[in-house]
Amino acid sequence: MKQKISALMDGELFDDDAETILDKLKQNPDMQEEWRSYHLIGDVLRQSDNVHANISIAIHKRLQAEPTVLSPHQRDSHNARWLALSAAASVMALTLVAWLSVQVGSETVPQLAMRQSQNAQPANLPARGLDDYLMAHQEFSPGLDVHGMTAYVHTVASQQEDK
Amino acid sequence: MGEREVDQLLVDRAQHGDKHAFELLVTKYQRRLARLISRFVRDSVAVEDVTQEAFIKAYRALPTFRGESAFYTWLYRIGINTAKNHLQALKRRAPTTTLFDAEESEGFEDASLLHEVSTPENELMSKQVVDVVNSSLQELPDDLRTALTLREIEELSYEEIAAAMNCPVGTVRSRIFRAREAIATNLRPLLGTSKNKRW
Repeated sequence: MKQKISALMDGELFDDDAETILDKLKQNPDMQEEWRSYHLIGDVLRQSDNVHANISIAIHKRLQAEPTVLSPHQRDSHNARWLALSAAASVMALTLVAWLSVQVGSETVPQLAMRQSQNAQPANLPARGLDDYLMAHQEFSPGLDVHGMTAYVHTVASQQEDK
Repeated sequence: MGEREVDQLLVDRAQHGDKHAFELLVTKYQRRLARLISRFVRDSVAVEDVTQEAFIKAYRALPTFRGESAFYTWLYRIGINTAKNHLQALKRRAPTTTLFDAEESEGFEDASLLHEVSTPENELMSKQVVDVVNSSLQELPDDLRTALTLREIEELSYEEIAAAMNCPVGTVRSRIFRAREAIATNLRPLLGTSKNKRW
C-alpha cells in the first residue's frame, strides 16, 4: 500500500488504483502520514537551504470554517459547452449541404435541358417523332423522377390531341 | 495517469465537497508555494500567513477552476497575487504596521502557530529535518539513491529513470519507494515529537 502512495504522488498509478488509494488515504491517518513525510522528503531534497514548516494543520482548521465547495456541474457544464458547439457545427454542416444540393438541383436541370434542346435541333424531327424519341429516352433524363413524369404526362396529352 | 491528472482527480473530488482531497493538495504544494511567496515577502511569519491565505482563496475559487491549466499553475498565480496584495496592504498601513499586526495576530485563532514560526526551536528543528534527510540519502545503496534523486531533483518520469538506469519500470517504482521509506523511517522519530506536527 505504501508503495502505491509513493507511485501515486509521482503520478505513476493507473486511474482505478489512484481512485482506490485516494479513498483509503481519506480514511487512514497512517497513510496520510506517509503522504506527508514523502512530500517533506521531496521538498527537502529540492530545496534544503530553506524548508518551510508544515502549515497544513492551520489550513485544515481554517477550512473547517469554510462552506463546503459544491460544484458538481463544473465538469458537466464544460462538457455541455463542447456538446453545444458540436451540435451547432453539425447543424451548420447540414444546412450547408442542404443549401448546396438545392443550388445544384435548381441550376443543373435548366442547363441540361438547354443543352438537350440545343442537341435536339439538328435532328429536325417532326412533332410526333420527337414525342416518341422523348418517350423512348426519358429514362436517361438527368432530372428528378418528377421531371421525367412531367415530360411523360405532356407527351400523352399531346398524343390524345393528335387522336 | 500523470502528476497533473492526479491533481485534477483531487480537484474534482474537492469540487464535489471533499475537503480532505484539497488538504492532500495543500500537503503537496505548501512548501513550493511558500518558497514562491518568499521571493516577494521577506518576513517568514508573513510568508506563512500569505501562503495560508492563498490556499484559502484557492479553495473558495475552486468552482471557477475548469482544469484548462495545471492546478499548480493556477495555484501559483493565486499565490503571487496574494503576495502582491499583501505588499500593497503593507504600504498603505506602513506607519502602524507593527502594532496593527501584533493586535491582529493576537486575535487570530491560530496565533499560537504564527508565533512559533521563527523561534530558535523551530530553526533547530528545520535544520535537523534537513540533516536527517540528507544523511539518510547518503546512506542509501547507490541504486536507491540514484532513482530517488532522478525523480525528486531531476523530476524524471519512471520510464525515463528506467531508461537511464537500464532496468524495468517496476524496479524503478520499487527503488523509489524503498528509498523514501528508508529516509522516512529515520525521520519519523523527529516528526513524531514535533509539536503540532510543524514538519
